[in-house]
Amino acid sequence: MAKIEFEHRQAGHCESGVTSNLLHHHKFDISEPMAFGIGAGLFFSYLPFLKMQHAPTTSFRVWPGQVFERATKQLGIKTQVHKFRNPKDSMDKLNEVLDQGIPVGLQVGTFHLPFFPPEYRMHYNMHNMVVYGHENGIYFISDTLMDRLVEITYDDLVRVRYAKGVFAPEGRMYYPTYVPKNIDLRPGIIKGIRKTANNMVGVPFPLIGVKGIRYLAKSMRKWEKKLGPEKASYYLGQVLRMEEEVGTAGAGFRFIYGAFLNEAADVLKQEWLRELSFEMGENANKWREFSYKGSRNCKKRGKPEESYDYLADMLLVCADNEQKIFKKLATIKG
Amino acid sequence: MEESQNPVYKNKDYGKYREMLYSSYTGGKFEKAVGFHGEADRVILEQAWDLFKERIEDARQRVLAGKASPVVFYMEKNLLDPLGLSMVAGISLLRVKWHFRPNAFKRLSNNTLGKYAKAFNISIEQLKKVE
Repeated sequence: MAKIEFEHRQAGHCESGVTSNLLHHHKFDISEPMAFGIGAGLFFSYLPFLKMQHAPTTSFRVWPGQVFERATKQLGIKTQVHKFRNPKDSMDKLNEVLDQGIPVGLQVGTFHLPFFPPEYRMHYNMHNMVVYGHENGIYFISDTLMDRLVEITYDDLVRVRYAKGVFAPEGRMYYPTYVPKNIDLRPGIIKGIRKTANNMVGVPFPLIGVKGIRYLAKSMRKWEKKLGPEKASYYLGQVLRMEEEVGTAGAGFRFIYGAFLNEAADVLKQEWLRELSFEMGENANKWREFSYKGSRNCKKRGKPEESYDYLADMLLVCADNEQKIFKKLATIKG
Repeated sequence: MEESQNPVYKNKDYGKYREMLYSSYTGGKFEKAVGFHGEADRVILEQAWDLFKERIEDARQRVLAGKASPVVFYMEKNLLDPLGLSMVAGISLLRVKWHFRPNAFKRLSNNTLGKYAKAFNISIEQLKKVE
């Protein structure tokens, strides 16, 4: 079986990029920010009890798999998701689906991915990519983070699909089965915005949403005293890595969400959304400023140039901005 | 796709890897561009890799001095923590921690050694020695 015709488009965020590319293959054009927004991908959570690479986890997105599931459900697209215990079964099923001419999305771990840049090969199990064909045990991959198409062998593919650890992919594979002809984006956008607004300001739990940002700011002030300068600097670096590195399209998805609000204003014909999108852009610039100031701290290990109090204050400003934006967004009407 | 006009992402010194970034300008327009890593990204990535190298070197010294078992060294080399290793190898966390002691490691059965070797993707002979 040869390759399927598949257009590779690079994207900022792996999962919304995969969603957008898969739907584009099925003749339904949806941009990456739109898929991200309808899937309600924006999130914030600070999980000090869950250690990743020896430091607490900060997440700027929802759990893996949710963007694809929610976006397709809201748009009335039928999908099929498979998980297998036995690697051989899952590879057989993958071959079978590819032979029918359907490109398949996969959840994989990044540590053993051979084509990935070496500086990114850490244990991170929430990466997504598309397989669009196979031939003699070689699989053709479209990875939205890469600027070109790549290939992978059978053994390597089994290894990355069955990576173990936190959020293990367990060979998860997904593809759309039925895409309706005329899709109305409007109800999906409104539901997506409501869900995101609720996630950010409506959850009565201190580690999630705007409250999570404030909690992070509060604990950041104590890091230096509690952990010593080196470890505190490493903890800060972990927050920044989560914000800028792991396929976030910059500033912890805030830019991508601003782009979504901008597009939503066109579709819904509501101008106030455009104003909010600019506010979101400003907010994203604040986040980026935070990461540049923070990285200066990480550079001089042990002798922070920018104090943690200063950085925590910056975080509080971001939290206030976001609370204002999402309080307004929660009142959206169709 | 075009190169980024944004000066921040024009640093070509680091890696051959380009990523897509969205950015907002003062005009309030959202643009996406493909660019290389900036200085800030380099610093925070290097920080992580420095720590990993430090930990690997530290583990090597402890193994050579006979204070820890080779499992510790290979665990650090694979960037795992004890919990991650117990998930990958399929051995309970308490047993994994027990095997960090050289004496406990010497008494391991071939079956258990095989589990560790498979997790680290090396042979049992390689697992037994650290240079």
